[in-house]
Amino acid sequence: MGALEIINFYLVPGIVIGSIYALGAVGITLVFAILRYAHLAHGDLATLGAFLALGAVTLGGVSPYVALPVAMVLTAAAAVMIDKAFYAYLRERPKIVTVMASLGVALMVRAVVQVVWGVDSETYTRGIVRPDVWFGIRIRDRELITILAMIGLVLALHVFLQQSKWGKAMRAMSDNPDLALLSGVDNKKVVMLTWIIVGGLCAAAGVFLGLNYELKAMMGWTMLLPMFAAAILGGVGRVEGAVLGGLIVGIAEEMSTLFLPTEYKAATAFAILLLMLLVRPTGLLKGKVL
Amino acid sequence: MSDILVMRDLVGGYGDANVLQGVSMTAAKAEIVVIVGPNGAGKSTAMKAIFGLLKVRGGSITVDGTDITGWEPNRIVEAGVCYVPQVSNVFREMTVHENLEMGAFLRSGDLSAAYDRVYTLFPDLKERRKALAGNLSGGQRQMVAMGRALMLEPKLLLLDEPTAGLSPRYMEQIFQICRDVRDTGVTIVLVEQHAKQALAFADRGYVLASGANRHEGTGADLLADRDVADMFLGG
Repeated sequence: MGALEIINFYLVPGIVIGSIYALGAVGITLVFAILRYAHLAHGDLATLGAFLALGAVTLGGVSPYVALPVAMVLTAAAAVMIDKAFYAYLRERPKIVTVMASLGVALMVRAVVQVVWGVDSETYTRGIVRPDVWFGIRIRDRELITILAMIGLVLALHVFLQQSKWGKAMRAMSDNPDLALLSGVDNKKVVMLTWIIVGGLCAAAGVFLGLNYELKAMMGWTMLLPMFAAAILGGVGRVEGAVLGGLIVGIAEEMSTLFLPTEYKAATAFAILLLMLLVRPTGLLKGKVL
Repeated sequence: MSDILVMRDLVGGYGDANVLQGVSMTAAKAEIVVIVGPNGAGKSTAMKAIFGLLKVRGGSITVDGTDITGWEPNRIVEAGVCYVPQVSNVFREMTVHENLEMGAFLRSGDLSAAYDRVYTLFPDLKERRKALAGNLSGGQRQMVAMGRALMLEPKLLLLDEPTAGLSPRYMEQIFQICRDVRDTGVTIVLVEQHAKQALAFADRGYVLASGANRHEGTGADLLADRDVADMFLGG
């Protein structure tokens, strides 16, 4: 098999799915860093975002790219409401209680999606898209846009965290919560801001997953493990680590089909997660130890 | 002399136990007051009580004439009191300058005068303003912690064992900075393990034992007191 074939059939799809994992993993790492629990409803929040975009596409007759920001805003609002309705009451309790609650929220969100949109597979657009060929590398528009959108969103988040007053407050809360409170940072505002960002990123992950594959009620749930693997691989609390982790997990999953039957693809993320926790629990870029 | 801090017969502690069994102290404007005493005397607890970090069951605390007993820490910050904890007192993954920015989180408008003031007090920090606070030495981290607290231009600065774990050279430097800060009109109350050195440099001192006042006086008087010496200065 030639280098071009490996790039076209394994590397490009790996980078595309890796970019989608990255969008999810960034959100997971932010929740870990600021709220300090594993958010198991993350995948189903992405499903919700994907289907909200489908709603905008079918009702509004717009392209999925126009539906994306709509879905991001709506999912962000949903995430804030879920936090206020469920997680806010559990904030003073041991974190494992919230982790379990988020599993319940995952099931509820998925049930809502199934009631509203049914259990069949859906797509944003019909028909087959032929890839463009650039110097022998075959890539579809939507694949290119997925990668570029991921880079754009992560860069925007990076600038926000590094430069803005409230972005710094989020980093301070992640770094040393007691000292952040002593400095007068309002914890409630930071939590709300975190959910707005996390909800938006979830929706983006869901929409791009739906755009490149198909929309199913289980789409987000099956993505949960690779997203967690990516966040832990990159180092918990590290945004740039989550991107790196997402890309590595995505590429490794696709590359694994070179040696293993395709059914074992999902096991690759598991293997990476276990190996990382054994060898270097702080992740590639030094993150928090859970 | 007007008293910035007045603590009267304070009783309180963590949970149900009362660590403080009636502690009283005052601190005048631009005065350095040091709290010393054996381990478990309630030194740090008394300081945390001022900052609203524990349950106060009796007595009162006023700052510059305002009764702040039972207030939440964030309101106490707004009343002009800043607190530097003994451990994890910097944002390790943020730069020195960002640490100062977080100190001024509640302030708006032009902060350049506040930055200038802190960087003048701590020239070391100005050189390392882009370094991550977690990568600094213990002494420099303590400076970042104090600088962060000074960004709000407090009336009263509370320091919990600022020299713990520092070399004698840094200890001297921290004490000198405390004098400089005092000379800008700030009242400083600090808890110290290094009792001898601290009493020698402070304006006044309180010796606590078992959660109550044992001695008080100028630093020199306390150093000369036989009972104080016997108790914990090691003769």
